[in-house]
Amino acid sequence: MTAFERNGHSKDGIARLTMPEDAQQMLGLARSAGIETVWDRLAAQEPQCGYCSLGLSCRNCAMGPCRIDPFGQAPQKGVCGAGADLIVARNLGRAIAAGSSSHSDHGRDILEVFLATAKGETTGYRITDEAKLRRLAEEWGIQAGDRPVEEVARELAEAMFEDYGSAKTELGFVERAPDARRALWERLALTPRGIDREPVEMLHRTHMGVDSDYANVLLHGLRTSLADGWGGSMIATELSDVMFGTPSPRMSTVNLGTLKADYVNVALHGHNPLLSDVVVQAAADPELVALAKERGAAGINLVGLCCTGSELLMRKGVPMAGNHLIQELVIMTGALEAMVVDYQCIMPSVTDVAKCFHTRVISTFDKAKLPGAIHMPFDPHHGLEIGKAIIRQAIDAYSNRNPDRVRIPVEPVPMMSGFSVEAILGAIGGTPAPLVQAIADGTIRGAVGVVGCNNPKITQDYAHVMLTRRLIENDILVLVTGCAAVANGKAGQMVPAAAELAGPGLRALCTSLGIPPVLHMGSCVDNTRILVLAAALAKHLGVDISQLPLAGAAPEWYSEKAVAIGAYVVASGITTVLGVQPPIFGSRNVVNLLADGLDGVVGAKFAVEPDPEKAAVLIRRHIETKRRGLGLPYIEPDSIVAPTPAVPATVGA
Amino acid sequence: MKTIVVDPERCIGCLQCEFACAVEHSTMRDVLLALVEQPPPRRRVHVEAGPRAGTSFPNKCRHCDPAPCQLVCPTGAIHRERDHDAVLIDLMRCIACAMCAMVCPFDVVGYHAVGDRSVGRTVAIKCDACIDRLRAGEAPACAEACKTGALTFADPNDVAVAGRRRVTAAVLAATTTEPPTPVAAETVGAWRAIGEATAAAGLSGGAR
Repeated sequence: MTAFERNGHSKDGIARLTMPEDAQQMLGLARSAGIETVWDRLAAQEPQCGYCSLGLSCRNCAMGPCRIDPFGQAPQKGVCGAGADLIVARNLGRAIAAGSSSHSDHGRDILEVFLATAKGETTGYRITDEAKLRRLAEEWGIQAGDRPVEEVARELAEAMFEDYGSAKTELGFVERAPDARRALWERLALTPRGIDREPVEMLHRTHMGVDSDYANVLLHGLRTSLADGWGGSMIATELSDVMFGTPSPRMSTVNLGTLKADYVNVALHGHNPLLSDVVVQAAADPELVALAKERGAAGINLVGLCCTGSELLMRKGVPMAGNHLIQELVIMTGALEAMVVDYQCIMPSVTDVAKCFHTRVISTFDKAKLPGAIHMPFDPHHGLEIGKAIIRQAIDAYSNRNPDRVRIPVEPVPMMSGFSVEAILGAIGGTPAPLVQAIADGTIRGAVGVVGCNNPKITQDYAHVMLTRRLIENDILVLVTGCAAVANGKAGQMVPAAAELAGPGLRALCTSLGIPPVLHMGSCVDNTRILVLAAALAKHLGVDISQLPLAGAAPEWYSEKAVAIGAYVVASGITTVLGVQPPIFGSRNVVNLLADGLDGVVGAKFAVEPDPEKAAVLIRRHIETKRRGLGLPYIEPDSIVAPTPAVPATVGA
Repeated sequence: MKTIVVDPERCIGCLQCEFACAVEHSTMRDVLLALVEQPPPRRRVHVEAGPRAGTSFPNKCRHCDPAPCQLVCPTGAIHRERDHDAVLIDLMRCIACAMCAMVCPFDVVGYHAVGDRSVGRTVAIKCDACIDRLRAGEAPACAEACKTGALTFADPNDVAVAGRRRVTAAVLAATTTEPPTPVAAETVGAWRAIGEATAAAGLSGGAR
């Protein structure tokens, strides 16, 4: 019997594709209405190309395209002479560059609006967290003191813009890493020099005839990812906090039940909080609320989707409709007036599904247009007006709603969110000391970031929820972002009462603090919060991040951004377990380097394990090994076995 | 006699055989021009997904002898080309009755409009063993396109000899210290193991 069956799920039909009740009902509806979804398209794509799955196809030049025979018979080299190792490494390098660029361009958009706000050129934006601005400024060597906030903000913005260029030898936020890590990066030439520079250099290196050493390509891949994690993404997180507020714990709700049958429902989908923040402001406008009521609605209801949803949930408690694979299904409720999208992870199919309903898809960034959508370009100088125009579109669409087609499948589930590093440290008295103490005495064994996307190749949410459950049961604190957070929220694992699901140590800790055992730290750019927390713990203990009992997991990842995140997490010293295999298996050398050799280089490595039960064992063993390394009480790693946790003997240290 | 021999172990699902087949059976027999032909050229080899990620099988007419399709064809449209041992369909005689499809042991007969304007209707379509290429002394398009050795144009007896040699080596290895030659490359084995593990955990989405 598989883990899945043990948990009362049938392996057949829709339950095999998605775990949450709301998604199952909506997918059933899609099937009976003949509306195509992501799962249908995956089935139509199968079998998927083995060369591409193995990373053995190369389209980088016009002497090609080339592919390497994985069975070692016919072609073993591309036309240029590149073998399997180099082709796999180049493809992975380009994926990291694309992921890093995506986060970093998001960061730049935030930075541009931040600077414009400092200059007083925007409407709908302001410096919300002035204290954080001043802390950041001091960190960046800018005298904050009691100088005017606009002046400090402008100088900080200008300093951060320099990180995007190529005149520097080290990014500003690199100083946050512990000394041992920085020395290691310096020694290996991994210190990121410019947020834009590293991905550009990766594109250069992977052009035909530049870097032909696969290991050298991969090392630069790590540097490229660090330019994201300690650069573009970190700027995005920190400046979003300054402008929209640093998150603090708050309750909200999650799943498709957050849509309200008698309201004008607007879903905010994508990743960047710039536009969605002004939409939130606009939705509270009394004139627009009155207009909605005039049209027969009870009011205006905003819900989040994906990481834009996480940004809003963390800071404003906006209810969360769902994660990546919900984006088509939310339209199936027949109760969605508008889906406002910014960018990243917006399936081009949403406009096709929307055509079957009254839903208006509204695209908002000139760099992310969708045929079939209404384009209302974002402009920070007129932020609030655009926000209001978008809400008006939704109210207009409400008149077209067919009440007979409204089907909101479930009641919403409560979820606690808002755990920024500041909030976590604040909750435990302002320093990492109590957390370090709890880890040291074994109250909690360690902490794991369960992050990443949904992927239709994996039963939706199941791997996120199951892995998280097994970790908290074994006293491991779980930090979640992005789709993983939403999955856990839907499963009811993110309320203080979920402490009951945790092992005795973690349960006691959570109960005393009134927090869930699974902490929502934000969107996927906010994985940087996990880096910052890890660095703070390491600095407090005077060790490197790689020595800490930490791990990362991306059980259902799909995107290039996730590849960049995985790479910067590992390059920062945190071993990471993937649930979906990356396209690298065509090169034994690349697999060996990433899954083994890297441990001796950066003190962390990758593993691939789709079964969450087994992944949990891998991670628990890893954490106990790290505890042993630090001289903390540990459980003999080999005594930890899958899938039912035995009672292992504790070995004192 | 040479035929298309399939080694399913080596099929990685790249679909290049399907593509080459459709181009070969287009009117213009050109990659770019074939894309704009109406009706679109049809493939006659079908790579279906296997039960686990990373597995698939290129299925096509096996040119059976005796051929059940030939036996049941009421108009005598199906005949055997003895020189190349290929079962062929005379499209002008085909009445699209689907008898051949019903009896085909491999389910590889389909019904489509064809580019040949003299036919002008939907008829039975299946692998014709690339008969024009065989007559010109070339290998069938699918075998030529396949770079992994999943599809080869070979004498099945020769393939069997090679297989028996592998079996012999494996049997001897089991009784000596000589390690057996792996059937699939280590890389492919590791790749498929993840698909196996995903399925074993009951997590596979998509068609599986």
